[in-house]
Amino acid sequence: MNKRALGDRGGTLVFTISAALLSSCLLLLFFSESFFDSFLLFFINPLTNRYYLGNMIAFMAPLIVAGLGIAFAFESHNFNLGGEGQLYSGSLAAVLVAIAMKGKPAALIWLFSFAAAAAAGGLIGALSGFLKRRLAVDELISSFLVSSIVVLLVDFLVTGPFQDPFSNFQATRAIPPAAVLPKILPPSSLSTGIFVALLVLLVGKFVLERTRFGFELRLCGANKDFARYAGIDEGVYALVPMFLSGALHGIAGALMIFGSYGRLLRGFSSGVGWSAIAVALIARNKPLALVPAAAFYAYLDSGAKSVMIGAGASPEIVGIIQAVIFLFITAARLPFLKPPALLAAHRRGGKAGDRGAP
Amino acid sequence: MTWLDTLGGITASALEAMTPLLLAATGGLFTELAGMLNIALEGLMLAGAFFGFAAAAVSGSLLLGILAGALASSLIAWIYGSATLRLKANVFITGLAANIFAPSVTAVLSAAWFGTRSVVALAVPEPARPLQTSLGRIPVLGGVFFSQHSLVYLSWALAAGAAVIIYRSVLGTRIRATGARAEAVAAAGFKPDFYKLSAIIISGFFCGIAGASLSLPLGAYVPNMSSGRGWIALVAIYLGNRRPGRTALACFVFALAESFSNYAQGQFGIPSEFILAIPFAATLIALSLGTSAKNE
Repeated sequence: MNKRALGDRGGTLVFTISAALLSSCLLLLFFSESFFDSFLLFFINPLTNRYYLGNMIAFMAPLIVAGLGIAFAFESHNFNLGGEGQLYSGSLAAVLVAIAMKGKPAALIWLFSFAAAAAAGGLIGALSGFLKRRLAVDELISSFLVSSIVVLLVDFLVTGPFQDPFSNFQATRAIPPAAVLPKILPPSSLSTGIFVALLVLLVGKFVLERTRFGFELRLCGANKDFARYAGIDEGVYALVPMFLSGALHGIAGALMIFGSYGRLLRGFSSGVGWSAIAVALIARNKPLALVPAAAFYAYLDSGAKSVMIGAGASPEIVGIIQAVIFLFITAARLPFLKPPALLAAHRRGGKAGDRGAP
Repeated sequence: MTWLDTLGGITASALEAMTPLLLAATGGLFTELAGMLNIALEGLMLAGAFFGFAAAAVSGSLLLGILAGALASSLIAWIYGSATLRLKANVFITGLAANIFAPSVTAVLSAAWFGTRSVVALAVPEPARPLQTSLGRIPVLGGVFFSQHSLVYLSWALAAGAAVIIYRSVLGTRIRATGARAEAVAAAGFKPDFYKLSAIIISGFFCGIAGASLSLPLGAYVPNMSSGRGWIALVAIYLGNRRPGRTALACFVFALAESFSNYAQGQFGIPSEFILAIPFAATLIALSLGTSAKNE
């Protein structure tokens, strides 16, 4: 049954990616000045132009780490919709620690800044886990509400108390130059941060797939009742995965700051917390599959930026493509295709209700 | 007398602020009763705000604007509902699709049609204040209840009409039955998915008008102008125990928090980020207290 189910999921993935690419073409056809030019800019330029290629790979780093955070939440059947707030709080903590440690060795700054980012993002995520465990508050809604509050507070801090007094940007002061991660492919923003992301991914894969903790976490996600009968404290698996999910979002934010931006700019994330959900869904929460999923997403994003600068299209077309991905990526049936429906019904037979883990 | 005027002013602006919340919550009530947590209210509302405003600006008609907003949101709701039910996709992820689609498509179309991705301000007819010169003359109460614009009264009428549909019509009864026991509806020979899809499209219809009630009285479309109201409406339904009257009351309480924080901003010069955060914080606290009280 597993193999059949996998084939069916593969069909969904192929359909979703085709739909995403097709909608990209349609958007370029309708909303750019010259279809042919923008087609080249969108699909070819990100792969041949050193600048766009570097930025594309650089963007994979936060997507992989935040996507891993979503995988931890989804695999344990927790819906974390607060990625943006967790990412911003982690970024702010990392920047403040780095600025305070000015003059110290870079390695120490990295250690403490990333730890601070993980702690700050983790606490924000854990708040929803705590509310779920203690008061049975739906984490899907609470994580979104908490995140919305946190984003606004960080906006306030960045433009108020922590604003760089010598800059015209709505941004904090810059982190010490020594702490900026070394660049690999100038003039793009690709830095050694991508290796940090891959390292975090391998650790995450090990924890999720090779430890007792990871096994129990997935068991709670797959079948709560069974997990309870097996003597697993499911409350722990509301709290801890939400903490880890938030911590990984915090690290993702710190990677963006230390790898690309060098300071916290207001609104710098522009939706990485949401994109990470798309990446995790494409990867079906499988850690290693996050790499190609992040590459695909970063490719679309880089293409959209290339078209925006080269042919004046709106960068928001990438949001529409993302919506197309979200629309189809969890489909158990596909339009125009009958046979998978039977398999899908078979596969979903055991799942209860609408509240299935994606 | 001044404190009474202040209180009256806050209540009057709360009633105006309640309008989009009440409409979105009324739409969300249908999906909630059909057994689905509809997180797409936010995006559906934003689509209504944009398409309603664009149609009103082009046609010069308020009514056409409202209808266009309702139609556009219903259409998006139909797509989102079809993916959820026909393709058996996860309802939260398809809901996210709607929430991400709305701000993106409005930005792209706003750039294409109006040449800007930021605030679009165009001449649209101002909603009338039908009772202002008659009942509006009553001291205090007239200013609070009878000086509102027509969309406020429209929202009350629609919410009341929705309550009648939910409890007194065949459609409403079957939607509620689908949420309570879908297999019983299926056994009786009806299609539960049909009633779920109907509920989603109805929620789109109401959210579209909710969005139009944000942009039309303002005379402008502001990106992300729904600013979390769809989520607040969801919590209002939950706190209102899925009952129309109590949900409306919850909407009023949240609207009061919003209008009070606007008043406080004017009085004490509080940074705008805090003002924007207050409705989210109030909603989170109400959700936590409400949930723990229910579980006692």
